[in-house]
Amino acid sequence: MGKHFFIKQQSGMVEKNSISRIVFCILNYAFFILFSILCVLPIWHVVMASFSDPRVLMGTSGLVLKPLGEATLEGYKLVIGNMAVLKGYLNTFIYVIWVALAGTALTTLAGFLISRADFMLAKPLSLFILFTMMFSGGLIPSYMVIRQIGMINTRWALMIPGITNAFYIMMISGSLKSLPSSYEESAKLDGAGPVTIMVRILLPLIKANLAVVVMFNVIGMWNSWYPASIYLPRARELWPLQLVMREMLIENDMKSVITSSDTKNAVDFVANLCKYCVTVVGTLPILCAYPFAQRYFVAGVQMGGVKG
Amino acid sequence: MGRKNPRLYNGRPFKAALKRDLKMNKMLWLLAIPIIVYFFIFNYVPMFGLVMAFEDYKPIKGILGSQWVGLQNFKDFFMNPTFWQILRNTLMISLLDLVFAFPLGIVFALLLNEMHAIKFKKVVQTISYMPYFVSMVVMCGLIIEFCATNGIITDLCVKLFHIERQNLLMNPKYFWAINLISGIWQGLGYGSIVFVAAITNASGELHEAAAIDGANRLQRVWHITMPAIIPTISMMLILKCGMIMNVGSDKILLLYNPSVYETADVIATHVNRLGVEMAKYGYSTAVGLFNSVVGTILLLVSNWISGKMTESQLF
Repeated sequence: MGKHFFIKQQSGMVEKNSISRIVFCILNYAFFILFSILCVLPIWHVVMASFSDPRVLMGTSGLVLKPLGEATLEGYKLVIGNMAVLKGYLNTFIYVIWVALAGTALTTLAGFLISRADFMLAKPLSLFILFTMMFSGGLIPSYMVIRQIGMINTRWALMIPGITNAFYIMMISGSLKSLPSSYEESAKLDGAGPVTIMVRILLPLIKANLAVVVMFNVIGMWNSWYPASIYLPRARELWPLQLVMREMLIENDMKSVITSSDTKNAVDFVANLCKYCVTVVGTLPILCAYPFAQRYFVAGVQMGGVKG
Repeated sequence: MGRKNPRLYNGRPFKAALKRDLKMNKMLWLLAIPIIVYFFIFNYVPMFGLVMAFEDYKPIKGILGSQWVGLQNFKDFFMNPTFWQILRNTLMISLLDLVFAFPLGIVFALLLNEMHAIKFKKVVQTISYMPYFVSMVVMCGLIIEFCATNGIITDLCVKLFHIERQNLLMNPKYFWAINLISGIWQGLGYGSIVFVAAITNASGELHEAAAIDGANRLQRVWHITMPAIIPTISMMLILKCGMIMNVGSDKILLLYNPSVYETADVIATHVNRLGVEMAKYGYSTAVGLFNSVVGTILLLVSNWISGKMTESQLF
């Protein structure tokens, strides 16, 4: 067996270096290099444009690969000193921190309850939650409920509904169920109640899964604009950053940034520059953070793939 | 259900068991209240609110006071001259994604698996996730800039395909392509994560054995790697099929404009426009209900088919 294996192993080595294999490898690497460049290029373009001289920028078309004209921070000064952007930032922070805490707490509690084997309500409760994954009332009835409660144009419209969902709850409950029962049994013998068991013993064991939930919550909230657009139509001071950005980037409405009495032309130049600066300011934090959270979202997505 | 407690239900009738459970797990019952209330208010009450679909709903009169119109709202939707157009757009946008973006994710993962420079592979993977973390608003801002009359993508298309210089987002002919390609840009790397994981789990021993038996690389990918990731593929496929009706409104709402409604208007954007912007609550609830029901049926059917064919099911 050993000898046989050795020989075949060698023939395998030969195959590895065949010409078609080498060509394939080169093409494969070329593809991934090209793909990576395509991923980065639009972001690079925006960052470089944001440092460009607004007049030169306005006059050129095509990709901006290095700052055009003399590099300037003019746009950033305007954007960072702008109240709408600052407030948007602050609001987004409030929503993100809230959803990271309250959303995760609610998810964990629900996941904990339906993972209890000796709790009669566990099974019905999990069906109750699972059903919401299959069928929903839809946009308008949900809107009506939130309106009836009086949450429209208040922060609560973004901070209460939708901060947990069946998928995260199933993930947490699944990871709790996969823990060996010996941990909590000894705690039970010591007279610990369910809350103590959950907080002191079980949660530390599923820290990684909790991190996944926190991360999905945070990224989802940071990037979300749609709920805010329907629930906070008249409460501009509560708008998250993405909604402020939508007004500037999509609806092309820069009046909240530019209020000076410059001539129309100068306003156009600066408005164009500010768009890039706003994009950078609103995107960079998450682009800098995600590589460090990579481990968690990869794990989270895999759990989703395995468990559905 | 790993840890069953046999004492609890052992020969006890339901009432006695419940009584005992209420006593023993008092804390758990109490903790369950906020969860039940939460899901009841935000998920189940809206389901009762679906009654609006059968009413000429007026917020002042409320659900009980509004006039009952039976199936009128549904008739209005099906008779709407844009009904077929909206349905076609919804299905086409989903199917294009299913036919092009979905297999690309698998191919991407397979190619990634053929790369043996670990560091390089890690860097490529990290970069490939990046577009996913760019927010929808920013991405659509970029698309709008690049597809404008003098935008980069327009430049490219004029040179490559000799089309007339124009704002690509104003031409209904290009909307599906723009939506699909930008979706691929944003989701390819991230969407391949599940497949990468499944491939990594495929046994290395089988590969060696097959190599010994003289299987070439392509054969090994086809006969060993593919079977190993088929459960994942079918799982993702069920999910995708179940979601065919749920074309998200948030990207299209950011990208579309009245001149491309012909190809860009989908059920979700239709509901948004008529329900939120024009306050036709009864009608848009009916459209939403139609969407939910068809979506749920699709999900159950594809789940059932998947169970028959591959033994992997969601529920």
